[in-house]
Amino acid sequence: MADPDAPVTYEGTVSVLTKFGLEQLSPYFEDLAKKYEELHPGVTVELDQESDDSVKGKTKTLVASNSLPDIYFTWTGNWGHNFVRGNRAVDLTKVIGPGTEWGETFAPAAVKSFIYNDKYFGIPLYLDAKFMGYNKAMFKKAGIDKPETFDELISACDALKETGVTPISLGNKEAWPVVHYVGQLLAYNVPQETLEKDFDPKQADYSHPGYVKALKEFKEIEEHCTDGTSMNGTSYASALQAFSNAQSAMYYQEILEFDQSATKDTPLKVEDFGFFQLPAPADAEGDPKAIEGAPEGYMINARSSNIPLAIDFMKFVTSPENAKTLSAPPYGQPTAVKGVVDEEVSSPTVVEGMQDIAEASYLMPWLDTANTPHVAAAWLTSLQALAGDTMTPEEVVEKVREAAKAEARR
Amino acid sequence: MAISLIVLCWFVYYPIVDNFLISTTEEDIFTGEVLHVGLANYERLINDPVVWRALWNNFAYAGLSIVFQVFGAFVLAATIEGLASDRWRRFWRAVYFIPSAISITVSGLLFYFIYQPKIGLLNAALENIGLGFLIQPWLGSEQTAIYAIIAMSQWQGFGYSTLLFAVAIQKIPRELFDAAIMDGAGPIRRLWSLTFPLTREMTGLMVIVTITGAFQVFNEVMVMTGGGPNNSSQVLGTWLYQQGFIENNFGYGAAIAAVVFVVTLLTGIAQLWYTKRRRVQW
Amino acid sequence: MVSTETAAPVKETSIWTAVSKAFLWSFLICLGIVVVYPLLWMAMNGFKNNVQIFGDPFALPTHWSWQNYVRAWNQGVRDYVVVSVLVTVASAICTVMISAWTAFGLTRSKLPGKPIVLIVVLGGLMLSPTVALIPLVKMFQALGLYNTFWALIILYTAFRVPFTTFLIRAYMLDLPSELDEAATMDGASEGQRFWRIILPMCRPIIASCIILHVLFSWNEYIFAMVFTSGTDMTTLPVGLTAIMAKHGTDYSVVFAAMTISALPIVIIFFATQRYFIRGLAEGIGK
Repeated sequence: MADPDAPVTYEGTVSVLTKFGLEQLSPYFEDLAKKYEELHPGVTVELDQESDDSVKGKTKTLVASNSLPDIYFTWTGNWGHNFVRGNRAVDLTKVIGPGTEWGETFAPAAVKSFIYNDKYFGIPLYLDAKFMGYNKAMFKKAGIDKPETFDELISACDALKETGVTPISLGNKEAWPVVHYVGQLLAYNVPQETLEKDFDPKQADYSHPGYVKALKEFKEIEEHCTDGTSMNGTSYASALQAFSNAQSAMYYQEILEFDQSATKDTPLKVEDFGFFQLPAPADAEGDPKAIEGAPEGYMINARSSNIPLAIDFMKFVTSPENAKTLSAPPYGQPTAVKGVVDEEVSSPTVVEGMQDIAEASYLMPWLDTANTPHVAAAWLTSLQALAGDTMTPEEVVEKVREAAKAEARR
Repeated sequence: MAISLIVLCWFVYYPIVDNFLISTTEEDIFTGEVLHVGLANYERLINDPVVWRALWNNFAYAGLSIVFQVFGAFVLAATIEGLASDRWRRFWRAVYFIPSAISITVSGLLFYFIYQPKIGLLNAALENIGLGFLIQPWLGSEQTAIYAIIAMSQWQGFGYSTLLFAVAIQKIPRELFDAAIMDGAGPIRRLWSLTFPLTREMTGLMVIVTITGAFQVFNEVMVMTGGGPNNSSQVLGTWLYQQGFIENNFGYGAAIAAVVFVVTLLTGIAQLWYTKRRRVQW
Repeated sequence: MVSTETAAPVKETSIWTAVSKAFLWSFLICLGIVVVYPLLWMAMNGFKNNVQIFGDPFALPTHWSWQNYVRAWNQGVRDYVVVSVLVTVASAICTVMISAWTAFGLTRSKLPGKPIVLIVVLGGLMLSPTVALIPLVKMFQALGLYNTFWALIILYTAFRVPFTTFLIRAYMLDLPSELDEAATMDGASEGQRFWRIILPMCRPIIASCIILHVLFSWNEYIFAMVFTSGTDMTTLPVGLTAIMAKHGTDYSVVFAAMTISALPIVIIFFATQRYFIRGLAEGIGK
């Protein structure tokens, strides 16, 4: 395998598979490609920009036909592991690992999310995490403050219900919204080592009592704060809409959605929008300072003919100046590069959220990307059943355990 | 002739043979490893509760579609053809056909909105006519999701089969009806002992088409529920997709496809045999 | 008194007929409303905004602006329409030409092996695309046709040839054989007989086959979803679900996009209704 640290020859083409195919995002890489080509006239950058929906299928096709580009998008967790297993990713420890010049520019938790077999394989581009957005005006009307503990959240919901609003709008048609609630609750209730051990089907036993406890806590939220079992028939988008329309007081959302929740055109005023971390339950055995979220990033193809050039292009993409562009409107994707996001660049709530992420002691990855596809599917479907009252917390854990066992046997 | 033979053998027949080969393997696309596992995928199939649920849903789809899209459409077609004015006959045939011209994606999305708990037409309509107690999260409940999808599919499909039956009824010689009326046969009797036997061939064809169609259902489920909640509205087609393309089990997906193949082939053969045997000459 | 007694049965039957007629008509009308109203609702929601859609689902739009339709058109629908038209037209031509030529061979030529060809073609009617999905994906990946227009054109053709051949063959069987016998006497080749004599005579069934094919490929979903993945290869049905995912919160745009995608096909149906029904009448039931 070629040395990632070898000197760069600025010649030939660099092909990139991105996840910025959306109309409002695609100019980001297009502009960078143009600038890079101007800096290095011998180089051509070829872009294949896919959307959130299409990138998985496209990547699999490219893998199956051995035509993966030099640089490709990846999630953390099991998805990224696939490339490492298949020897398709360059070990970047020498250039992005601890103590390296480039590595130092990133938030440490972000780079660490791409460690596989103790080696660094990924270049984080931006960070994402889940927070509870809330309507300050509605909280005031109900006479409550931002809840600090789990019990306060539950009683806040009861108070909000009395004022005639839905405390939390939750749409679970897509199944991942409840998975996100449960992911955060699991990070609070189950210690990090246990969680990570259970992500590996061969070692998983899901015996920690925190699993059932977290699911029971979710049921409590469902009962006190949401419209109940009908959530399975509502899409996440209409739940977000209800929050923006000031019909619900809270909505659990990604930091990437902050700027969508409240705009100058929505009934929810920008100055009324606030957020807090889902409060940790008392006597939780996990990490109360963990936040559910993950960076998303890029890997370098191990079969690329010009690995140093590919790395150089990614260094260019993550330079402070370009990282700033990414974090500012219209893109608004909080960069993984340290010390770039501030009030001048991004909206205040995004900056505040980024600080919380920086202070988090553990970034709990999404359950549906951290696990193997089969186990992820078990979480998705059985949590839908939990929300719809057709499965108990114990049955859900059992179902996931079985899925992991079946996976381990193969 | 040669070109159609090549096209069909290459893209229709060969893949079906290949499907059986794939169903005896397990593949890891990232490492490129292929394991030959014999019949292990079929063993897994038998023990997979979702497969049985999906099979049941496909049968429910077939059964309800035969009731509404074959027999219901037959009665409707006979009723329309019994109208005196040709203009009205054409009018109703065309009106009922409109949903069939629209793609399943559009009607699936449309009914997805109609079934929505909060903004949906259906719950609002129930509320307005005093049936508020029937309000449901139609697509969000494990008990109702698949039936809500099947209902949409009847809405969409009955006009098409009504049109085909109307065409078949038009081909029955007028004199036979006149003679039956002279003999004093009422409309129901004429329907049962004249129209029905004389369109039996069409009925047979429609039953095959409906059953085969019910086992290929994919689009509407994908658009409306994606198989959820908790796999309750999964059909063989969507479960195959989920296994093959989401969970990376091409081999297992191929085994599910084999079930679809067997069921559709059997119904096809059975129905051909039936219509041949009971063919009515005139 | 006597007169009423004799008149009564007559009157009763006429009341009975009137009642059943009224019942029949109200049934037809109610069914018509169930069929048409959701479609009108869809088109109307394209004129509303989110607040109105969430407010009262039965209310009429307060103002009729085309803004959502324009936005839907510009935010992807235009590109999807181009792809759909291209795939539909190309596959319709391929399907109908191949089918007509095959049907011609099956009914009008003296080639050996006709029964085998017939079984192969008609047997294709019973095979479903779902079964072939996984092998086809692998095959198209290997051929480098994955995520190209060719993938969809080939698949739409291959899976529609059996049905289309079936319809055209039934029609050709009914054409008098004297015509092409005379042409053969005059020394016309097989190709000449096909293009000059038989094909023109089959115009009505060809027209209905084209309409049926357009109906199919304009609306096809599973192949389009599995075999294409780029935004520039997306057909309308798949594009609609993408719009739904991207503009999930902007319902009025989604409704407008749905209406735009449904409209052309409904217009085609109404414009060609006579052809369509005649073709079916000739083709099916043989």
